[in-house]
Amino acid sequence: MPPADHADRGVGRGVGLGADRGVERRVDRGVALARAARRGDTLALHDLLDHLTPYIARICRSIALDDGPDATQEALVAVFTSLRSLRDPEALYGWVRGISVREAVRVAKRAARARPAELADVPERGDPQLAADIDDVLSRLSPQHRAVLVLRDVEGLDEESAAAVLGVPAGTAKSRLHRARQSFRKAWNG
Amino acid sequence: MTPSNVGRLRVMGAAIRGAHVVEGVLPSSFDEVWGVMGDLEGGFGDFQPDMRSLRVLRVDGDRVEALARSRYGLRAHFHGVLRPGWGWLQSRFLVVGMAADAMGDGRTRVALTGGVRVPGRPALVPIGARGELERAMRRLGERVP
Repeated sequence: MPPADHADRGVGRGVGLGADRGVERRVDRGVALARAARRGDTLALHDLLDHLTPYIARICRSIALDDGPDATQEALVAVFTSLRSLRDPEALYGWVRGISVREAVRVAKRAARARPAELADVPERGDPQLAADIDDVLSRLSPQHRAVLVLRDVEGLDEESAAAVLGVPAGTAKSRLHRARQSFRKAWNG
Repeated sequence: MTPSNVGRLRVMGAAIRGAHVVEGVLPSSFDEVWGVMGDLEGGFGDFQPDMRSLRVLRVDGDRVEALARSRYGLRAHFHGVLRPGWGWLQSRFLVVGMAADAMGDGRTRVALTGGVRVPGRPALVPIGARGELERAMRRLGERVP
């Protein structure tokens, strides 16, 4: 999962040179598979599906939470349906990330509309056991706020790139991130 | 958290222009169904239309290489992947994809895709493919115990 390692670099966890080479190799593999798949090699397409699924699933789970599997399936279909429209295979991961985030937000919003009653089930903030559960804290944020947190703090994108992925102006992404971090801290501290 | 095998086959079908994915539910356990589908030298050749025989040449982990003969004497040299509930085989001219998932109630969801490749791009010749796949699905149903 190259972009996960990329994200590690983004938050400065000190990935060494060897790990960087490993990331490059895996990125190269993804790009090579995408090129071969676009030329009609369906076995390469199959291997690309194996290669990208964990990355897409991770993004979708972070944003869509319990609906992560549905979001992953829909993001995979969206990515692979439009693979032929990817102009530059070198841009594969950024392109995949953009589609995955948008699909995850869409699925999470749809699920929230379908289950409005569950909002009342959000646990009490004072519960120390639940306060320790990061998923629980994340579940209190809106899908849009989770998306901006994932892009900035997990994927390590800068504001402009995150805004581009979300399709909003940089100022909107910045204020969303501010509010998301604030909500997260508030929920986390109970 | 990863998609089901049938879900993965839908993704492959979405990626390949002209591909049809035919799905069905069989009233048999996963082991019984996959026992037919995944048996490349046995049940697989029985339910896939126009496949007279298939011989596995090499297996390396989940990678397989196999030689198939059609009823009309044509040969296809397949390379691909075979895992429990999942098969993807490709020759120069053909693609065969199949998936199966246990439904948790003793039944099994299965999906099939494949057909004749269009050179140079991820596409299959759409003509007649759906009918062939539906025929394969019927034959599979007849062969599962």
